[in-house]
Amino acid sequence: MRVLLVEDEVRLADNLAAALRDGPGFAVDWAEDGQAGDLCAQNRCYDLIVLDLMLPKLDGLGVLKRLRARHDATPVLVLTAKEGKEPIVELLNAGADDYLAKPFDLGELIARAKALIRRGKGAADPVLTACGLELNTLEQTVHRNGILADLSPTEYRILEYLIHRPRAIVSKRELLEHLYDYNWERHSNVIEAHVSNLRKKLDAALPVSIEPPPEVIETMRGRGYRLAPEMNRGATDAAWDEEQEPGR
Amino acid sequence: MKLPRPLRLTAFMPRSIAFRLIAAVLTVEFAAAILTVALSFGFERHIHFHTLDVLMHGHVDTILGAVQESSDGKDNVMLVQADLHLPKEDVWEVLDSSGRVLGISPNWQGVAPESIPTGHGAFLQMVINGHHFHLVRRQGTRLVDPGEEGGGKPRTVTVLYGARINRVWEAIWASVEFYALGSGILLLVTGPLIAWLLHRGLLPLRQLAAMAAEVSANSWTFDPPASARRTPELAPLTLALENVLQRLERSFVQQRTFVSDSAHELKTAVAVVKSSLQLLALKRRSAEEYQTGLERCLNDSLRIEDLVAKMLTLAREENAAPVSQAAQATDLADCLRQTVAALETVAAVRDVQIHVVAAGTAVTPVFIPLAGEDGALLFNNLVLNALQHSFRGGEIEVRFCSDAKTALIEIEDHGEGIPPDALPHVFERFYRGDPSRNRNTGGSGLGLAICKAIVERVGGSIAIASQPSLGTSVSVHLPLAQQPS
Repeated sequence: MRVLLVEDEVRLADNLAAALRDGPGFAVDWAEDGQAGDLCAQNRCYDLIVLDLMLPKLDGLGVLKRLRARHDATPVLVLTAKEGKEPIVELLNAGADDYLAKPFDLGELIARAKALIRRGKGAADPVLTACGLELNTLEQTVHRNGILADLSPTEYRILEYLIHRPRAIVSKRELLEHLYDYNWERHSNVIEAHVSNLRKKLDAALPVSIEPPPEVIETMRGRGYRLAPEMNRGATDAAWDEEQEPGR
Repeated sequence: MKLPRPLRLTAFMPRSIAFRLIAAVLTVEFAAAILTVALSFGFERHIHFHTLDVLMHGHVDTILGAVQESSDGKDNVMLVQADLHLPKEDVWEVLDSSGRVLGISPNWQGVAPESIPTGHGAFLQMVINGHHFHLVRRQGTRLVDPGEEGGGKPRTVTVLYGARINRVWEAIWASVEFYALGSGILLLVTGPLIAWLLHRGLLPLRQLAAMAAEVSANSWTFDPPASARRTPELAPLTLALENVLQRLERSFVQQRTFVSDSAHELKTAVAVVKSSLQLLALKRRSAEEYQTGLERCLNDSLRIEDLVAKMLTLAREENAAPVSQAAQATDLADCLRQTVAALETVAAVRDVQIHVVAAGTAVTPVFIPLAGEDGALLFNNLVLNALQHSFRGGEIEVRFCSDAKTALIEIEDHGEGIPPDALPHVFERFYRGDPSRNRNTGGSGLGLAICKAIVERVGGSIAIASQPSLGTSVSVHLPLAQQPS
């Protein structure tokens, strides 16, 4: 997941970016004023925008209004140091999704950021399930049919992104855009390597008896990746899924 | 208009203007009434007794008219009582020169004639039969045989006459009573009438008060009623109120902005420290990472400390009494040179030259009305600003000159300058020309605001001119201080 942080206070921005990278493992881009923030947001590659209110050049409210005027539905978490309820009401009415008052708790910020991303992708439960996979976004763990898969942070993030977009074909470019900030050297073969490793590790989490292992991530040649649709899956997966069905 | 009743009541409170006016008017009226009654008493008494006197002498004339020559042929006189019609209550006695009684009223025994004074206005007061009487005495002459040779013989007759005076007193008292009653009724009527008139007359004042009462720290709209503006006595008050409220509102808004800005700055600063610490605690880290993290936290705390110190300085400078420190005097040249000397190290690090130039031939020392530390703070802020905005290898000129009344200090750098749209705001509190850069260099956005507060407190002025990429020039005008003895 990729987050745009618009904050003019350098030290605070440093800390927030570090926390969002270290904690939930987001890619973080930082804009130091409203205009830069607005410009960055026009790339539409962000899963969340963390927006300070008092910014030079263009204030947070202005950034927010321009964003919504472009019909950009990216969730926005506003950071404010202002007193009183009216600014908050105005903010929420202008299209903000949530707000935090300074000085805020870093843990709370991360939790809200996660919740907003989750909601932005249409999921309510922090534990996502698909294709016999159970992805816990809080612990950042993946279980396949109850067995823990040992994934690297990047592999986890790729899987998390794909699970958040079931049935959609996700291009390598989109994965790059959403998993790495703009400081990163981008090579699509990096993605290929990670996806290949991810597949191996997911298969390793299956009981040895099942052969051949049902495919979780499909490669659509020249277009990208897709989480395997329900009908293509193996019998074991289907049976496991049926058990889970009533609870969903 | 929701307070008419309590106001009506306050009109009767002992210290209210209405009460005092009513009391004054009624007191004057009461004094006038007393005077009127006293005067009327004196006047009526005089009139009535004078009338009585005239009346009694009239009766005496009547009696004298009834004295006639007696028919006994001895040239005596007698009183013919048949035609005499006198008030029954009155007493009288007629005597001839030898003291013989010619006639006496039936309700009297008589009195020694010498005890009664004679002449107009003279009388004797005595009690007869339990009643108060005024008695007068007059002598008349009756000619006997006027047709004879020698013009007849004169016979002297003395008439004593007395009239009851209780009637007179009754008339006097009736008149006085009339005046007293009239005055009393006037007093009773005018009291409420004045109260009512005053209540009406003070209406503009009450309207003004009601309007003024609606002003609060949250709602400054003061719309004085037209009646208050038209009333000559209230117009100055209304104007003064308006002016005071405008000034108050301005200062309130300023204070509120300052508090809200301060809160924002402090919260952000605290947020930095808090997030630094929480970031450190987010996961296990190496000893080195902890070390670096702690150092950063310490730096963040130092920034809060600096911010708080500057906010306190600004608050102190802005709230200081304008006169209290005016007696201070500092040698301008000394102060400038010391400030520049203290900044030599910073200048050396940034590779910037600072020149202090005294314009003109300023031989006599110039004194500015600032305490030493305030002067140092002012120039330190200005020169430091110039330093921070200078390019490496640049130069800063500090010029000063003075005339008879003011000193002019100019601090000019040849650095990056200030964008025109930022220029009008640089003296505003917490304004930063370039936020990210200044936050990195530890700028709080208060330095120039503090300078402005210091300069304006002693009645000076500060101005800034700048051209982007050419440099900035700050000029400070200060009034001269008395040379300390």
